[in-house]
Amino acid sequence: MTLSPQDATAALRDIDAAQARSATLRGYRRAAPQFLIWGVIWAAGYGLSDGFPHHANAIWAVLVPIGVAAGLFAGRGTEPSFAWRYGAITLAMLAFFAATFFVMAPVTGRQVSAFIPLFVALLYVLAGIFRGPRYVVAGLVVAAATLTGFVFIAGHFLLWMAVVGGGALILAGFWMRKV
Amino acid sequence: MSADEIIHQPVRLRIMATLSALPDGERIEFTRLKAILNATDGNLGAHLTTLENAGYVAIEKDFVAKKPRTRVAMTRAGRAAFARHVTYLRDIIDGAGGGQMEEKPS
Repeated sequence: MTLSPQDATAALRDIDAAQARSATLRGYRRAAPQFLIWGVIWAAGYGLSDGFPHHANAIWAVLVPIGVAAGLFAGRGTEPSFAWRYGAITLAMLAFFAATFFVMAPVTGRQVSAFIPLFVALLYVLAGIFRGPRYVVAGLVVAAATLTGFVFIAGHFLLWMAVVGGGALILAGFWMRKV
Repeated sequence: MSADEIIHQPVRLRIMATLSALPDGERIEFTRLKAILNATDGNLGAHLTTLENAGYVAIEKDFVAKKPRTRVAMTRAGRAAFARHVTYLRDIIDGAGGGQMEEKPS
């Protein structure tokens, strides 16, 4: 049996496609626990903040470290650099939000509660441009849910974010786990 | 250099390409590999057996919560053979390859 250049080209094209699909789906699989964890954290944080608005800062001060710890635990063993990268991303995001709110002040709690999910949605969209369309869809859904609630839900925007924003992340997590 | 007939079969080529995208030593569950490749149980199982007999993949069976689980990983020999095959294909396109397929028992 002899292989022609056309056969070789077709085989290499199949290889490239299979490798790209394999890498993308592996990335989804590894990201799934993070979506699930942060979906639950969002649901709990926004839900509790809606019920106890004067304790919102304390609620998030407890929940964010729990989410980071859970995220680190879920990603253990995936790659040697995971822990420090995860920690660095967390610190970078906290520093960004602190600097942004310092520069843009004064801001209302409602604005803060909308801005953070919009920024997270942007990160998902940017990640998706390189790593697969499911991240883009997740980012767009979170952004749309946030803007919809911000514009149309006057009384219980935080509860909206708990159910729709947190729910969107949890659903995205289950979607990421699918093949 | 010659082509690897075991690898070049279309389904096995996709299996090897899929496994080659995983880090060295990482295993993938049979059910997940089947879904990724859109293959049937029997078809995938037969091709994996061929690859296992050639020493290109390692198949591990165990039980998780009393349910059987089969996991597949590319061996070092498989990774090397796949790299050789890809090089061979590229050589054909570059005009350096002979284009002959190497016969191997399957």
